[in-house]
Amino acid sequence: MTQIHQSSSSGLTRAKKRRMRPELILGIALVVPGIALAVVFKLVPLVRAFILSLYHTRGFEEPKFAFLANYASMFKDPVFVTSFKNAALVFVTLPVWIFLPLVLALLIFQRSPGWKLFRAVYFLPYMIAPIVVGIMFRQILAPDGPLNAFLIFIGLAPLAIEWLNGATSALFSLTAVALWSFFGLGVLTYLSGLSTVPDEVIEAARLDGAGFWRLLIEIVTPLLKPVIGYWTVLCTSSMLIWMFPLIYALTRGGPGSATMLPEYLVFTTTFEFLNRGKGAAIGMALFVFAAIVSAFVVRRMYAEGKASK
Amino acid sequence: MRVVLKAGWRIAAGAVALAAMMGPALAQDVTTIRVLNWQPGGPDYWTQLVAAFEKANPDVKVELETVPFDRYPSVQGPYIATKSGPDVMENNAGLELFDRRSAYVQLPEDVLAAAGDLITYSGGCLNYDTTQPCYGLPFGYQGNVMYYNKTVLTEAGLDAANPPKTWDEMDAACTAVKAIGKTCLAHGMTGVFPAYWNFPEVARNFLTEDDMRAIMAGKLPWTDPKMVSILEAMASIGTTRGWINSSSPSISMLPDGADIFQSGNAAFASTIIADAVNWAAFGAALGDENVGAMSWPVLVADAPLAHSFSGTESSVFGVTPWSTKQEAAFKFVKFVAGVENANLLASVAGGISLNKNVDPNALPKSQALAQIQEIIKTPTLHVGVLLSGQEADALARGWQEVTLGTITVADWTAQMQTALEESPSKAQ
Repeated sequence: MTQIHQSSSSGLTRAKKRRMRPELILGIALVVPGIALAVVFKLVPLVRAFILSLYHTRGFEEPKFAFLANYASMFKDPVFVTSFKNAALVFVTLPVWIFLPLVLALLIFQRSPGWKLFRAVYFLPYMIAPIVVGIMFRQILAPDGPLNAFLIFIGLAPLAIEWLNGATSALFSLTAVALWSFFGLGVLTYLSGLSTVPDEVIEAARLDGAGFWRLLIEIVTPLLKPVIGYWTVLCTSSMLIWMFPLIYALTRGGPGSATMLPEYLVFTTTFEFLNRGKGAAIGMALFVFAAIVSAFVVRRMYAEGKASK
Repeated sequence: MRVVLKAGWRIAAGAVALAAMMGPALAQDVTTIRVLNWQPGGPDYWTQLVAAFEKANPDVKVELETVPFDRYPSVQGPYIATKSGPDVMENNAGLELFDRRSAYVQLPEDVLAAAGDLITYSGGCLNYDTTQPCYGLPFGYQGNVMYYNKTVLTEAGLDAANPPKTWDEMDAACTAVKAIGKTCLAHGMTGVFPAYWNFPEVARNFLTEDDMRAIMAGKLPWTDPKMVSILEAMASIGTTRGWINSSSPSISMLPDGADIFQSGNAAFASTIIADAVNWAAFGAALGDENVGAMSWPVLVADAPLAHSFSGTESSVFGVTPWSTKQEAAFKFVKFVAGVENANLLASVAGGISLNKNVDPNALPKSQALAQIQEIIKTPTLHVGVLLSGQEADALARGWQEVTLGTITVADWTAQMQTALEESPSKAQ
């Protein structure tokens, strides 16, 4: 009996294994391309960049092993310190990046007056190439450009400042332009999240007398926490590593180093000063900074997700 | 008769087949070279230069990759880093070229022989020394002057025939110009250039040629009192003396200094003698009779180089080591330095050629140009081109910060010293 049982159970296992094999193969086949791409295009360049950061380079002459000399030089460089201070300042604006698209998404979702126009245009800025956005705003924000002309025309002459010229206004302008360019994606993300919120929930809140802001803060925000988390991670990485075309077209990191962000410093160090080793070291520092900030945001997102369950 | 006809057909068919085979062979004999450049002298001049070269060298076709001057390093850098790209590259003469010399092939003897017709070509050779390896040949002369608008000076009650000769006179002129609501010194351009152009004009008041050579070798620290004096004087232009437009410190200002001057709203503009923004462009905008050219005013009257002209080869053309068409590429480099191009540069672009055999009548007639030709007669080294890329960048960024009041001259000095220590070309 036991033998029969054993043989039937081993037969079952074999059958199971036979069934599992194609599934396993399919699973591996689906996963391997992703892993291969990640290894080839993410891990290998990262390791190569780290190795390069340990070398002293000059033009394309043969690199010489320099151990941590590039890192020492990097920390001594005042522009490096300024670039990370600037990155931190840009990061402080994260709540605006998160909240503004959410407000607009809810306005469109609840069909506020003008929603059709906004629905038609909100995604347009995101569809314009960042370099074009930069060139466009370079004209708009020029000292005698259309923005200042408009401000003077409506009697707000004191606000007609040199947007890209001031030590503080330049970074503010750069961040505002980046937000303008990027927020359409946020609205789209939030709208897709809002489409999963049952109409009855919104209706019930309205019947209970909830106004726009109460609806936003007490109903929509808790329901969209995973979406907000996702958007936050996306914004964080964008702020730290996707600003390059805007800096290039708008300010070149200036005036002085007022809009110098680490990613632009990597570019100038590597390609203008032809110091690939130090450029790689700054790139590694940026990677660590972005990883720490993103890990913090992701952890927070998961913690809040668990708490809401 | 039939036999003759048959033979005729065979010959004709053979000729057609031969022509079909020869066609691609002939096409293959034309070598196409790519030339990275910023079109100094303007597009018209470059169209004519390429046409003249291709006429003289029918076996070579030139494909231009033109990049605006201010974006040039950003495009050239990746080519150098990836060891790929154009066959010929333009480069500023001096240290910028020395920094990038691994991206250029050393000029062979026969190409270097073409330099014999040039007034100077040392800016294409390592350490400005023609006995050392040379990497490119120049074609034009370059340097900085101040242009002035005679109408604005007259409006401000100043004598347009006697523009300011000292910094004190410039202070007084600026007060008068600002009183009529105009900008005194139109200043500013994308990139490092405003500070980079002002630097040699101020530095001549404090340095000797030996000091300049020490700068090139990285042996004169920025903490040296002479260097600090230069930075202090440069800072005062935008701060205590207030000569310039307030938008000047912006790296991406629009309109730039040249636009302001060309609009007729400024008395002076500090820029270069040739290339894109020169006396011809200002003359076209303001009327040739209204534009004058002068040396930068003197700050230290008894300084040995205070009355000299900071001159340099405008740019050089060299051949890249990764090019597989170096023979054709060197033909282009030689042509650029040759007399035919010199005459084109003078007649089409109004540029000042370095070729000794240039037709003296090729240059257009202009009062500003005549003044420039007088100014350049007492040349000295252009200390701007002796700065490393790191120093030029720190000079420009520091000047902007000092002018905006976010750092002091002491901070700027420290930044310059760090940049010097970080310059690989100065550590040898």
